[in-house]
This record gives sequence, structure tokens and C-alpha cells, in this order.
Amino acid sequence: MAQSISLKDAERKAFITKTNDGLWDIFLGGYFLMFVIVLYLGPVLGDFWGSVMFLPYFALAYLAIWLIRKYVVTPRVGIVKFGRARKARLAKFTVVMVAINTSALILGILAVVSFGKVPGQIYPIILGMILLIGFSLAAYFLDYNRLYIYGLLVGFSPIVGEWLWNQGYASHHGLPITFGISGCIMILVGLVVFIQFLGDNPLPIEDSPAEKA
Amino acid sequence: MINQMTNPQTDPELHPLASIDQIIHAPARLMVLTYLYVVESVDYVFLMRLTGLTWGNLSTHLTKLEEAGYIVINKEFIGKKPHSTIRLTEEGRAAFKGYKKSLQQVLDDLPE
Repeated sequence: MAQSISLKDAERKAFITKTNDGLWDIFLGGYFLMFVIVLYLGPVLGDFWGSVMFLPYFALAYLAIWLIRKYVVTPRVGIVKFGRARKARLAKFTVVMVAINTSALILGILAVVSFGKVPGQIYPIILGMILLIGFSLAAYFLDYNRLYIYGLLVGFSPIVGEWLWNQGYASHHGLPITFGISGCIMILVGLVVFIQFLGDNPLPIEDSPAEKA
Repeated sequence: MINQMTNPQTDPELHPLASIDQIIHAPARLMVLTYLYVVESVDYVFLMRLTGLTWGNLSTHLTKLEEAGYIVINKEFIGKKPHSTIRLTEEGRAAFKGYKKSLQQVLDDLPE
């Protein structure tokens, strides 16, 4: 009972209780592994059809998360509707993510247009910065501290990958190794968090006096 | 009658502690109201997870808060299962704000 009654902390605890099930970690890890698979599928299917492979992954991943949330997570932690402060924060997060993705798209186009005119090492640095900033902002707005670590992992991935590629240790600018390792770490962390979540939150007793009331 | 009015236990002018809302002052109910203050609505399971209270204990405290008009409990069915959502009323929100103010006043008035 001797808990702090800081309203900000209380709201944060409510949000983390609802969201800390490890599923988004697994989704993100899967996304980076998918990126690795697409790198290898590109030469076989072509760049366009290789990239299209992301769509079934997104569809299946969202469906799996929705089903797990509905049948496994929600019965264990219950339902909450967040207040105006959290909704405003999530709205800001959406705006920031749109801005980051738009910037990434513009930089990507500029990279293609200026190919050969700027030193090749600049692209992995820019990509790494975008990933690091994007993940850090997401961590801040979502109160999701693990995203800072993931931001460092994937932020350094293009730079380390480029070095591995230059040294002749890896193909595809080293991304299969660096993104692959980052993705595996995220999936592993997600699985551990999910198993802990199941252990910490057993299904409540069916005929509780509260629900009978 | 005069004694009752000037009794420091009941007169907020003489004893600021008397103005503390006793419904809210119980630690478990204070915790419940704190969480309800920062969200729009929750169900029993979520509140139980947040507070660490047992079903029975939580139910007792919620009944007291409902009787005081500080919360409303909406009962509905999700499929065939009964489901209750709890939210703070305007009265409850005002009472919580008042409680915070009163408690702060009491603590500020304490000697160092």
C-alpha cells in the first residue's frame, strides 16, 4: 500500500500493464528477419515482388497479434480505456512516425538520385541515424524502454554491416547478419517477456464474486 | 449542540484533518481512485492486476465507492459472460481533487 500516488506514474503503470506482453517485440524482430529474407528473395523474384512479401507478413503478424491479444492477453489483464493524456500522446506518436517515415522516404529517393555523387559510406550512416531516432522517439512516446536498446541495435546495423561487407565477410552490405542478429534478439526478448507475462498473470477465477455482482 | 459544532474532530476550521474524505482515505480505495482518475474506464480484472487486491477485497471497496457516488459500475455481457466496467463519476473526480488538496494542506501545515 505504501506506493507512490504520482498520477503520471499511475497512468504509466496502467499503460505498461496493458502493453508489456512481448508481442510487439516479436513482431519487430520478425519484421527485421523478413527484411533479411527479402534481400535474398529480391534476385529471385525481382525487387518489386520481393518487397511485396512484406504484405502477407504484416497481415499474418497483425492477425496473430489480434488473436493472441483477444484470447490470451485480455482475459489475463482485462480491459482498459485510456484517458485523454494517453490518447494525445499516441496521436503525437503517430504524427512523429509519419514525419520520420516521410523523411526516410525522401532521403531514400535522394540516395537513389545522387547515387555515385556522394561517398557510399554516407548511406548506412543516414539509415542508421533514421532508425536510431525513429526507435528512440517511439520508445519515448510509448513508454517502451526496450525500444531504446533496439534503436541502438538496428541503428548500428547498417554501419557495422557496411564494414563487414567492405571486409568481405558478408553479402548484401552485411545486413543479413546485423539485421538478422537484431531481429533474433528482439524475438528472443519478446518470447521471454511473453512467457513471464503468462506466469505473472494467470487466468482469473471464473466465478469471481466481482463478476457475479 | 455547541460542543458538537466546536469539536475539533469535526470542525474543519479547527482541525484540517476533519476535512479529509474518509471514503477516499482508505489506502486501497485511494489506490483504486488514483488509477480510475488517470484512465477513462477499466474492468475488474485490469483493476485487480493494477492494485494487487483480491477479487473479494476489490469488490468490497468498489461497492463503498459506488455507494458514495464516486464511481459507476456498468454491467454488460460479452458473449455469454458478464462483464463490468468501472469509471469515475464527475463527483468522484471532484472528490479526488478535493482530497488531494486537503491532504496537501494538512501535510503543509505540519511542523518541520
